[in-house]
Amino acid sequence: MIETAPIFLTLELAFLTTIILFFLAIPVANWLSHKKSILKTIAEVVVSLPLVLPPTVIGFYLLLAFSPANSFGKFLEHYFDIRLAFSFGGLLIGSVIYSLPFMVHPILSGLNSLPSSLEEASYSLGKTKMQTLFKVLLPNIKPSLLTGIVLTFAHTIGEFGVVLMIGGNIPGKTNVASIAVYDEVEALNYHNANVYAAVLVAISVTILFLLYFSNRKLQEVKIL
Amino acid sequence: MKIGVFVLGFSFLLFHPAGSNAQQKKITVAVAANMQYAFAELKNEFEKNNDVKVNVVVGASGNLTRQIVQGAPFDVFISADTKYPGNIYEQGFAAEKPKVYARGALVLWTTKEGIQLNSDLHFLLSPKIRSIAIANPKIAPYGTAAVALLEKNSLVEDLKNKLVYGESISQTSQFIASGNADIGFTAKAVVLSTQMKNKGKWIELNAQDYPPILQAAVLLKHGLQKHTVAAQKFYEFLFSEKAKDIYKKYGYIN
Repeated sequence: MIETAPIFLTLELAFLTTIILFFLAIPVANWLSHKKSILKTIAEVVVSLPLVLPPTVIGFYLLLAFSPANSFGKFLEHYFDIRLAFSFGGLLIGSVIYSLPFMVHPILSGLNSLPSSLEEASYSLGKTKMQTLFKVLLPNIKPSLLTGIVLTFAHTIGEFGVVLMIGGNIPGKTNVASIAVYDEVEALNYHNANVYAAVLVAISVTILFLLYFSNRKLQEVKIL
Repeated sequence: MKIGVFVLGFSFLLFHPAGSNAQQKKITVAVAANMQYAFAELKNEFEKNNDVKVNVVVGASGNLTRQIVQGAPFDVFISADTKYPGNIYEQGFAAEKPKVYARGALVLWTTKEGIQLNSDLHFLLSPKIRSIAIANPKIAPYGTAAVALLEKNSLVEDLKNKLVYGESISQTSQFIASGNADIGFTAKAVVLSTQMKNKGKWIELNAQDYPPILQAAVLLKHGLQKHTVAAQKFYEFLFSEKAKDIYKKYGYIN
């Protein structure tokens, strides 16, 4: 029996992860793009970690952190009555961590590619740091922003290991499409697995196509 | 220099342990997750009396079945149910019909303070219990049994929002042991294992209240062809009195 819930859940997770990361990554990337200090190097390491760590490592630590038997989980349960393991909120936190470098890196390299004279000109014309970031710098790295958004979205769709470890496979809450494929294969329902897999392939191809297509368009109109 | 490194690397490949002791007989057994603890003892017992080394691959029965059907070089398959070995037999990967070696027992287990276990499962409705772990009933026989038990008590609808699903009995047990789930249904063999003994508390559920968890093993064609004597010997050992004692010790019903 094919259900659409896992697909919509995957899309919902990817959508929310992308929005959260977009607003999180801009200040982080902006801070990292300015002059270097040892603190920033540490921050860069942290931001890049999810890129090299196996998802199972992230999943394992999240599981430990979320458990009400440990301090962080106990704190959340005691003061906020929240339990993150086996919840959509928990998945969202996992996805944000897991996809963090996919949003920060493109934005950071976009900002780094801008000549510093652009920023300096803006300051000398009396613009504040905020105005410079939003009115001058960001509009000039649209392709990078788009790349960050699309890669984050696509990467979250492809998320599996973290979800498998902290999700608990609850229909409509944590049973995302990649997990549904795994379950159907395990249950030897190759037909169902095929359907879910094909939908995921179609979504991913469409997203990547749109990315490369619109980036080409943006490149053409770029002033700098 | 570069060539030296290459030769060194290559010689490691050549003299990898897998290829070196071809003298000793070796078989590979695929073992369902719930059986891994009892199997460790089975393996020691068998290796003590036979000059055969037993390699173990542990996984969910469904996963192992898929691997076998795709040609994984396993000699014997010890499943958590009868469906998957039957499937292997039907697809022509088995040397003979699968046989039941033991019957699994279901327990309710918690590692939380302040949860009183009760054989009347309606205590699960208490708001103190927020999440109940069970193995995915689609692929894990212990999960199917747990759902049947809840259905018998007409609790499935009321507990629906509390259920969380492990992809195998191992993950389900891990959810309970780590305290992420307040309580859960798992195999008796898990709570009796040396690793989990004395962790939290558990009660055994009445075996009449859920369909029997019959666990079958099957001698695979690969085993019969490649390691004829050793594989057959091990397969027979699974049904010996000695093996039955071990199953019993780990909570299986004979």
